[in-house]
Amino acid sequence: MEEIDTSVGKKRSFFRFWNQPKHAAYLFMAPSIIILLFFMVIPLIGTLGLSFFNINIFFTGTKFVGLDNFIQFFHDQRAINSMWHTVYFTLLETPTQVIVGTVAAAALSRTTLFNRFSRSVFYVPVICSLTTSGIIFSMLLDPNIGWIPYVLHQFGMNTPQFFRDATLAMPSIAVMTVWKNFGVTMTIMLTAIQAISPSLYESAEMDGANKKQQFFHVTIPQIIPSLGFCVMTNLIGSMQVFDQIYVTTAGGPEFKTESAVQYIYSRGFSAPYQLGYASAVATILFVIIAILSVSSNLYMSHKEKQMR
Amino acid sequence: MEARTADTTELVDSTKKSNYHRNKVIKSIIFKVIMSLLILIVVFPFLWLLLSSFKYEKDIITYPPHIFSGKYTFQNYIKVWDTIPLLGYVKNTVIFAGATMLISLVLDSMTGYALARMEFKGKTAFYYFVMVSMMIPFMVYMIPLFIEMNKMNLLDTYTGLIVPRATTAFGIFMMRSNFVGLPRDLDEAARLDGLNEWRIFTKIMLPLSKPTLMALAVFTLTNNWNDLLYPLILTTTSSMRTLPAGLALFTGQHISFYGPVMAGAVISMLPLFVIYIFAQKYFVQGSAMSGMKE
Repeated sequence: MEEIDTSVGKKRSFFRFWNQPKHAAYLFMAPSIIILLFFMVIPLIGTLGLSFFNINIFFTGTKFVGLDNFIQFFHDQRAINSMWHTVYFTLLETPTQVIVGTVAAAALSRTTLFNRFSRSVFYVPVICSLTTSGIIFSMLLDPNIGWIPYVLHQFGMNTPQFFRDATLAMPSIAVMTVWKNFGVTMTIMLTAIQAISPSLYESAEMDGANKKQQFFHVTIPQIIPSLGFCVMTNLIGSMQVFDQIYVTTAGGPEFKTESAVQYIYSRGFSAPYQLGYASAVATILFVIIAILSVSSNLYMSHKEKQMR
Repeated sequence: MEARTADTTELVDSTKKSNYHRNKVIKSIIFKVIMSLLILIVVFPFLWLLLSSFKYEKDIITYPPHIFSGKYTFQNYIKVWDTIPLLGYVKNTVIFAGATMLISLVLDSMTGYALARMEFKGKTAFYYFVMVSMMIPFMVYMIPLFIEMNKMNLLDTYTGLIVPRATTAFGIFMMRSNFVGLPRDLDEAARLDGLNEWRIFTKIMLPLSKPTLMALAVFTLTNNWNDLLYPLILTTTSSMRTLPAGLALFTGQHISFYGPVMAGAVISMLPLFVIYIFAQKYFVQGSAMSGMKE
């Protein structure tokens, strides 16, 4: 009898202990935190660790090589080129997408039936995978059967080779990416624009500002924080470009569209399966992305302070 | 004298007004034309894909290309199951994206709830940990993750695909913002009524969070359904591929048969498209939330 009583009492006090919010919180968070630790934090540290080793996918002949992988990177023209291609893609994609998305949001900010329909349509490519977009566009841009070369030909242009042309391939991929993703920017900017108080426009109108002036002197300053967010997420996202290139050009022609992530992928997961060297390249890319995101974050908060 | 000036100003006013009105109409027409053009640019590739997926191979590869064809066929939709192991891809994608969505809804809202409404030691540290996690790109840690999964024999398993994605920092952030917005006295009243913490969470807080849960659900579903790099790394056999990874490997640089690939592309995006039609506002909410800053 007594034994049962104490066990019930223990159970109860155990329960009471964990039912206090200050203790229960850890139970609520435990699964997520454990998953993040195991499948993100530890691998993240692993990347840095692996980059000091010569290690392949079969774990044969693993050897500590110090900074050799990083030194090798600076002598590896294909790796350096892949970084430049990534930067080139980012410079093409980010401004275009942010401008197209913001202009679309500003144009469609009033809620009319037509505008609502347009917004719904512009969001459709967002739910379509980059793989499917890639399949669609590699057919639409195909010089032999594609619609876009055909239409351009009707206007008297030479049939461009798009994905197969070394100079046109990357811009084509960037345009396709804008087509697929500008709906996201539009949605974020729309929320920001609709949050602007109408009284600001009214007073601007009383001061005699026309629509264009209102856009540049009322809308833009008010949406700067969201605009900054879009630029930043786009920059970071573009620096990781992979899917659309993998599907459309696979890095060709002559590695002219190979991106950094793609180089990491093909170094690590196809012959010669150098996981150590691929990790070193990943570390370098991560440092570049981190510098980009921290500095753009600082710049944006500085700009915001200036605005106020 | 006075009357005349009044007259002329009125006249000037009315011409100004009609000018203004006419300008407005013209502008609205120009605006609609430009927008319709943009709509066409967005919609045409999809319509063309859908139409062409019902064409015979020889009608797809004509030059000049045609939008419509004389004859239509279901042949591609029948052939695609033989040429590509599509049924397996669909099954894998449904299991991976579906299970990930359900589990992450539970885990993300639990963590978001704790961070929003409970006071405990180290709360700020945990919060910053989640915020920083949001900024870490997958590609940076994919190689060690692959090794980890390989060592645990979890490559090419559903567990291996689902568990690392069973919680996301963005989901936690989104649910936290949701719970912060709920009235303060709700849980205090429930606590006085003697409800335990878990019941307060499941019986009171979760039912009030349905819109955010829906937004998060479609957000994670879309992300995982469409993801390419992640399943490409964690699966090595064709039988475990998801739709994007499988289709990407089958098309690659050179497509040998267009029809079946197009049918496969249609099938791969159809489920999300149908969900989008019925739950559009939750998709948009998810995107809008991603743009929210503290």
